[in-house]
Amino acid sequence: MTTPTLQNYHGSLKQALGDDFLRQTLDNFAVQYRANRQLIFADVNEKGLIAEIAESKEASLDHLEELYAQFREQAAKKGITVHRAATAKEAQELVCQLAKDYDCKKIIKSKSMTAEEIHLNHALIEAGLEVTETDLGEWIIQLRHEGPSHMVMPAIHLSRYQVADVFTEATKTNQDSDISLLVKVARQELRAKFVEADMGISGANFAIAETGTFAICTNEGNGRLTTTLPRVHVAICGIDKLVPTLHDALRVIKVLPRNATAQAITTYVSWITGALECQRTGTGQEKKLHIIFLDNGRSDLIKDTKCRQALRCVRCGACANLCPVFRLVGGHRMGYVYIGAIGLILTYFFHGHERAKVLAQNCIGCETCKDICAAGIDLPTVIQEIRARLNEEYGSTMDSALLGKVLQNRKLFHTLLKFGKWAQLPVKKGRYIRHLPDIFAPYQGFRALPAIADKAFRDLWPSIKPPEAPGALKIGVFAGCAQDFIYPRHLKAAVDILARLKVNLEFPETQSCCGLPVQMMGQRQAAIATAKGNIEAFQPFAPDYIVTLCASCASHIKSHYADLLAKENLGEQVKAFTDKIIDFSSLLTDVLKVKPETFVNNQERVGYHYPCHLIRGLGVVEAPKTLLGMSGQYLPSQEEDSCCGFGGTYSMKFPEISGVILENKLKRFEEAGVTCLVTDCPGCFMQLDGGAQRKGGKLKVEHMSEFLARHLAK
Amino acid sequence: MSTINTAAVDLFVAKAKPVTIQIKEVSSLSEALTLTLEICEQKPLGKLMLPVKDPDAPRKKTLAAPALAAESWDYLVKEGEKKGFEMIRDNLRQYLAGIDVAFSVATMGIADTATSVLESLSEDERLATMICETHVVALPKSKIVSDSYEAESYLRASMTKDRNFIAFVSGPSRTADIERVLTLGVHGPLELFVALINE
Repeated sequence: MTTPTLQNYHGSLKQALGDDFLRQTLDNFAVQYRANRQLIFADVNEKGLIAEIAESKEASLDHLEELYAQFREQAAKKGITVHRAATAKEAQELVCQLAKDYDCKKIIKSKSMTAEEIHLNHALIEAGLEVTETDLGEWIIQLRHEGPSHMVMPAIHLSRYQVADVFTEATKTNQDSDISLLVKVARQELRAKFVEADMGISGANFAIAETGTFAICTNEGNGRLTTTLPRVHVAICGIDKLVPTLHDALRVIKVLPRNATAQAITTYVSWITGALECQRTGTGQEKKLHIIFLDNGRSDLIKDTKCRQALRCVRCGACANLCPVFRLVGGHRMGYVYIGAIGLILTYFFHGHERAKVLAQNCIGCETCKDICAAGIDLPTVIQEIRARLNEEYGSTMDSALLGKVLQNRKLFHTLLKFGKWAQLPVKKGRYIRHLPDIFAPYQGFRALPAIADKAFRDLWPSIKPPEAPGALKIGVFAGCAQDFIYPRHLKAAVDILARLKVNLEFPETQSCCGLPVQMMGQRQAAIATAKGNIEAFQPFAPDYIVTLCASCASHIKSHYADLLAKENLGEQVKAFTDKIIDFSSLLTDVLKVKPETFVNNQERVGYHYPCHLIRGLGVVEAPKTLLGMSGQYLPSQEEDSCCGFGGTYSMKFPEISGVILENKLKRFEEAGVTCLVTDCPGCFMQLDGGAQRKGGKLKVEHMSEFLARHLAK
Repeated sequence: MSTINTAAVDLFVAKAKPVTIQIKEVSSLSEALTLTLEICEQKPLGKLMLPVKDPDAPRKKTLAAPALAAESWDYLVKEGEKKGFEMIRDNLRQYLAGIDVAFSVATMGIADTATSVLESLSEDERLATMICETHVVALPKSKIVSDSYEAESYLRASMTKDRNFIAFVSGPSRTADIERVLTLGVHGPLELFVALINE
């Protein structure tokens, strides 16, 4: 198999974007899943369970060798032979050897991602064995000679017509495209395979050390047949599937099916403790039962403090389910064997850095996956860490290295931005840049790009600084580059409102970029340097709060500064700084307790786009709606909390995806009947406003500060 | 364990519906057997999943209850044969083309997921409950607990004591692998009845 290059990856993305069936299917799925998931979690404590799973998985990883030894001892007592495979190749060889030892010719399999991980089928077929997948989706993709496009629904990318074609070819009989009939074809065809098989291969969702039990979750019941009918059963799982007790497994089962398919439980959970009678072997004879624990890089990953949380994964597939990128391009472009956010990560650790090089770039950083992960894995942060390592290993692209260098020197960065103001003159058209020839900004035509403002906020500040308010709160303004240089009007509007509310405002001039863009690109040194510079800039002012109108800056500072600066010996300074950071909406509602009388409400029909970094990054839900309710007629719209497609540098790297996400987003606001769309982040603003401009500018887009300032009571 | 947790029973019944489990109320095990015979009588003759020599030859409906105690089995055979069924207690491997109905008794019920806990040491019971078109599970109400944590100590004891094959069964076999359309009966039963015994 060839390693993807960025160029052929773009080609493949384009192809997926043109697949109307795929797009429609994944769209429907995302919408239905979101609603069903909410319903099915209603009767359990979702966040509590996830936190417990994370904790128990971490504890298991700390004691994996003991758990393995305990499992092995318990299982051996009950007739199970336990193996350990260090590599994928070793695991393949073990299975082939077992087939040879027991004289097996025909093999049936129930679904196992671990078997997919090691490309087991290839090895078995090469060894002359006949292998049949029995999970319906897996069987379909096996017949098509392709890999799964989702960890739980491996054939989600195919239509009933494609399945009918595959079955027609496999059965040499014309098959109807009626889904219930197609399922019957599988029931019939696969029954014969079950009966003939000498060996059954299954995965394992859990291996319970205290009793030597392993468990398999399935909906179809093929797991129960695979483990019962053939005379040899080989189970294969990663060593990360070891848990100390039954309780740990029962706990995961409360979340895994809910998160995977919005079911309270899978139809079948089979708990296998020991080798039982097998009449195929002979009367009174036992089944030959083996379990293989696969390492394949897991032991090293456990020692990797920044990324080991990936081993908590329970393979529910939910990180793909709500991923805005997966929704557009499907699993074959969003992973290698493992799919979704966890797929980007595990590809790097299990299938080689080379293969992950391009894939790891395709995360928009919206944090939706982190928000719903069954094991509480901070997937976007691990992906950023992987990008940083890939940059160190392979060198970064010219533009990201250049940005990294420039951002480490604030004066140079700001001079360049001001120079940009003159450089853009030939293409500037009001507040926007005229459509650029593709050579300057390839495929950016889906949105209008903003121009650098005539006067940056830092230059406006001396003339708009409000008078001091003795005894009132002291609030520092963290401008962030986008609003300092491109949208100073957002900040100016915020200053007008805050001046009305009588607070002391300060704008420390030596502040710079928050560092998120370089962090996203994996430029670690630059991210550290900017973080340090900002803390030093605010130090002398000792503000009570530091407000930012950029949700991305706020979320980056709050979630990453502590980690970035861990080795910089700044002591309590870091926490003191990050604790003071607050978003504009929360400052108004929670701290300054703004009242409806502050605004004139003329019932303007206003919608709200939740920036990813506000709702998921900072957990802010109510504040914006409260403010819009005071100052206008707030109209809820579908998926107002899903990503707008900006993702910072993501939209430059993958404009084809960013553009489609934006288009869908704007459509939903139009459907809700809003005339003004408000958001709390200059990045989202740039994306949404740029898209609305391209569509003729009928939908007005404003930052929260602008909308509120426009409705400020006289 | 003879008291009935009525809240748990109600929860079981409520959770059974959305996962297409058909709940029946019976007063005793023998009534559950009678119900099973009726279900077998009413269902259409099952389809065979493997080729047979003479597909047009007349066939009897098949009903299996491998792990049933002798006394109940004697009753079931007598009544089943009266209705013209082929009654199966063992050698399930000879019936892998499929049977009509399998009957089994659950050792426990878990209410919040409408789960029947089957402990099937016998291969015949595991096979019968998978290759049938209709599975009837008898579950005494007194064995229903609220959630899996309440079943934990019992399950752990079973797993610790000796070898075991425990199945949580929470509906008929299902798939949504083609266009995410829910379809019942992909490998296992097309329908699942749970007969709640009032004891």
